[in-house]
Amino acid sequence: MAHDGIALDVRDLRKAFGGVRAVDGCSFAVPRGKISGLIGPNGSGKTTTFNLLTGVVSPDAGRVLYRGEDVAGLKPFQVFHRGITRTFQITRVFREMTVFENMLSVTSLAVPDRAVRARAEELLALVNLTHLRGEYGGRLSYGQQKLLEFARALMTDPDLILLDEPAAGVNRTLLQHLLDHIHRLQERGKTILIVEHDMNVIMNHCERIFVMDYGVKIAEGPPDEIRRDERVIDAYFGRRRQP
Amino acid sequence: MARREHARNLVLVGLLALGLALLPGALTVYIRSFVLFTMMYVVLALSWNIISGFTGYTSFGHVAFYGIGAYACAILVADYGWHWLASLGAGAVVSAVVAMAIGYPVLRLKGPYFAIAMLGAAEGTRVIATVWDGLTHGGLGISLPSVETSMQTYYAMLVLMAVTIASAYVVGHSRFGIRLNAIREDEGAAEALGIDATRYKLAAFTLSAIFPAVAGGIQAYKVLYIDPPSVFFVQITIAMALMSMLGGKGTVIGPIVGAVLLYTAQELTWVNFPSAHLIAYGLFIIIVARFVPRGLVGFAIDRGWVRKGMVH
Repeated sequence: MAHDGIALDVRDLRKAFGGVRAVDGCSFAVPRGKISGLIGPNGSGKTTTFNLLTGVVSPDAGRVLYRGEDVAGLKPFQVFHRGITRTFQITRVFREMTVFENMLSVTSLAVPDRAVRARAEELLALVNLTHLRGEYGGRLSYGQQKLLEFARALMTDPDLILLDEPAAGVNRTLLQHLLDHIHRLQERGKTILIVEHDMNVIMNHCERIFVMDYGVKIAEGPPDEIRRDERVIDAYFGRRRQP
Repeated sequence: MARREHARNLVLVGLLALGLALLPGALTVYIRSFVLFTMMYVVLALSWNIISGFTGYTSFGHVAFYGIGAYACAILVADYGWHWLASLGAGAVVSAVVAMAIGYPVLRLKGPYFAIAMLGAAEGTRVIATVWDGLTHGGLGISLPSVETSMQTYYAMLVLMAVTIASAYVVGHSRFGIRLNAIREDEGAAEALGIDATRYKLAAFTLSAIFPAVAGGIQAYKVLYIDPPSVFFVQITIAMALMSMLGGKGTVIGPIVGAVLLYTAQELTWVNFPSAHLIAYGLFIIIVARFVPRGLVGFAIDRGWVRKGMVH
């Protein structure tokens, strides 16, 4: 397969917690410059996979190739500095820091102050949070925190953006707003991988979908195929589960 | 604009320092000594605040660094004939090295585990100072050569306080400081956003160990006698924490205000109610914890008198 079309190549990733094999030989290739989705029933290993990709946990086996380098087993801050960033399932804004400080916390100290401030102002304007720049992160509504987290993740202009359930707990208007931003990023050549339970979001916005169950990838393809895929329907609704 | 604010703050601190510099000649020995110890507690509280307020790692053992500085000064001056100012520098270096050695393992612990480990570390340094006769003269303590030192130590403490305030101010208003705050708020998220928490914590911890060591050295040269229980005294750590919390930890002005208020209150109750001063002190702490849990600066922020955040 031509390698330049692939942003992130996950090969045979494994992670067990005690006796539970959360990720059990999972492989998939995230296409460059596209929006992809990672779905699966609860407990299928999506979040663990995300954590493996971002260094939060290190794998028992397997590789995560990014720009020709294996990033599996690196520390989170090292993964981040290679151009991969993420948001969290439940927002993790810095609560007793202002919105503006949240933004400034991200960029490396080597980047001059002036440039960082300008970028922060620009991104806050983009997500309509400029009027709250002096407010504590913890005082924002949940939706505003999602936006702040999203904007914060873009401070360093990452190439690969991993979004963990961006739609959870967000009202429709705000969600549309977020999805517009995600599409704009994709148009600028960024690669986006979304973990999401909201099937509308996944089916309408992802070009490629990976489906996980019991720690392995069970299906992969464009939305139309996935919608009809027997294995996916089985995994979600429990028909004809093989012993 | 932030620059104007920084300039105003610089002028304020400059005026305060000038006032304190002109003061001592006009003061009685008692008041001069009181001002010196107030300045010392400003240094201690601000230092504690760098690791515990900015970074969120509550240290119950910071007196260790104060004691190390006091011992470095006493040993080098009394046994090796060093100039006392040089011994302060040596104390700072030793304290920084010890901080790195302790911090490297202990900063991996979080919350109460870190606090208790630091309590243990401080007790450990006290025990070492007690049993290592050959270096520290053990429980006998060390007497320093007697000279009139109250003016010299006053000015040394003034300079140290100015340097400590300046350092805390620069750290607090920098992106380095913001990153320390991020570690305090959510270490996992901070790491996911590119912050090498281990390195930042160690840097903050080491910095927070330097100023107390110098303060301990100056104090030793002022009182001219130290022994393990007096310079590795747990209550000094507690004072650092309480002063920061009273003023508002995680800010720069908070620990300064807290140190001045609490040390003054302590002195007044001690002078006026010698038998009841601990009760009064305890009541004071309860009142603070009940009515201003985020400290005086936090109280002011919550009411909109002071802007939120350090960097605007």
